[in-house]
Amino acid sequence: MRASAILARWLLGGLFIYMGLTKTLHPEAFLKLVRQYEMVANPFLLNSIAATLPWFEVFCGLLLVFGVAVRGSALMLFAMLVPFTFVVFKRALAISSVKAIAFCSVRFDCGCGSGDVFICHKLAENSLLILLAAWLVFNRGCKLCARFSLLQGGTIQEGQTAAGASGQSQQG
Amino acid sequence: MAAAGAVFAFSANWLACLLTRHSSTPLGLELTRNYFPSSGSNTVPPNAVSTNTNIQPQQTLEAQLRAEGLSLADSNLVAQVFHDPRYERDLVVFIDARDNDEYQQGHIPGAYLFNHYHPESYLVTVVPVCQAAQQVVVYCNGGNCDESILAARLLRDLPQVGGEKIFVYAGGIAEWTTNGLAVEIGERKSGKMREPRKSEDRKQGALRTIVPAMERT
Repeated sequence: MRASAILARWLLGGLFIYMGLTKTLHPEAFLKLVRQYEMVANPFLLNSIAATLPWFEVFCGLLLVFGVAVRGSALMLFAMLVPFTFVVFKRALAISSVKAIAFCSVRFDCGCGSGDVFICHKLAENSLLILLAAWLVFNRGCKLCARFSLLQGGTIQEGQTAAGASGQSQQG
Repeated sequence: MAAAGAVFAFSANWLACLLTRHSSTPLGLELTRNYFPSSGSNTVPPNAVSTNTNIQPQQTLEAQLRAEGLSLADSNLVAQVFHDPRYERDLVVFIDARDNDEYQQGHIPGAYLFNHYHPESYLVTVVPVCQAAQQVVVYCNGGNCDESILAARLLRDLPQVGGEKIFVYAGGIAEWTTNGLAVEIGERKSGKMREPRKSEDRKQGALRTIVPAMERT
């Protein structure tokens, strides 16, 4: 269980660090992709989203890898993954409808940092990542964590829960 | 957590802009800049997929460009321009509106690079060239790419250039290579060319796949 939590953190964190860095190296390309979704027309908002989202992903990825504020960063990634997956799904539906092709044949650059992907592969991948993030939110293990929780006592000893650690830190 | 992440993200973008400002491949985005100035009539990019818009037909694109004070160039006009004697004297010029990486991989021979996302890096070279030229043809990848239109608008709005002589080559480098025309690799006037596959070679290639299949039957 502890090993799987570590692996999950490193996998999810590492993936988001990689995806985020890929996008930070090509900011205009990501800006163009965000624009294609037609969610935001205001230039300042559009630029802010395109400029900061990749760095935010890197930030959350780093926190997960080093085991800092694990539940918070997993929750942030979960909160990003769910709407993004929905938006990508909607866009794929639109492309499938306009081009009159099978849904799973739709292939485009969704702006996730992995280039052109088949939509069904991307949806499956994102679903796994969502489950992984959700599991990390509820998981209590913190092996190899620098600071599991920023607010509640910092670290959790083996066998303790987050609430137990909080109680101990208050008594201390 | 979210606030800390936002502070980190905005700071990182600001730092990236600051540190790479004079680089050939700047990082970061200027938050207050409008990277996609519109003509006012249609701000939707050509490749946005929605129920209301679609890939613009040629006639609609031509009409849109004309309304903006620009002109559309087809493959015939582009070939004519390329073989015009004025081309050697930079009286007719090609402007590549893509990024540096794509430009280096192959561009119309003699074309000037103009990445409109970072105009400050290119205007010093491009403005005098466009000012002196009698015809300016702007292109990008072709197909759904609208970088050429965005770059053309930027050039049109420069008082030294104006829009009367600016043409947008909608077919782009994709059509150029499909038509079997040579492509220059690397820097401008590098001398390194990627020759097109001749039509005979294409036929031979097709034959090589057909004959073994026939022999198997």
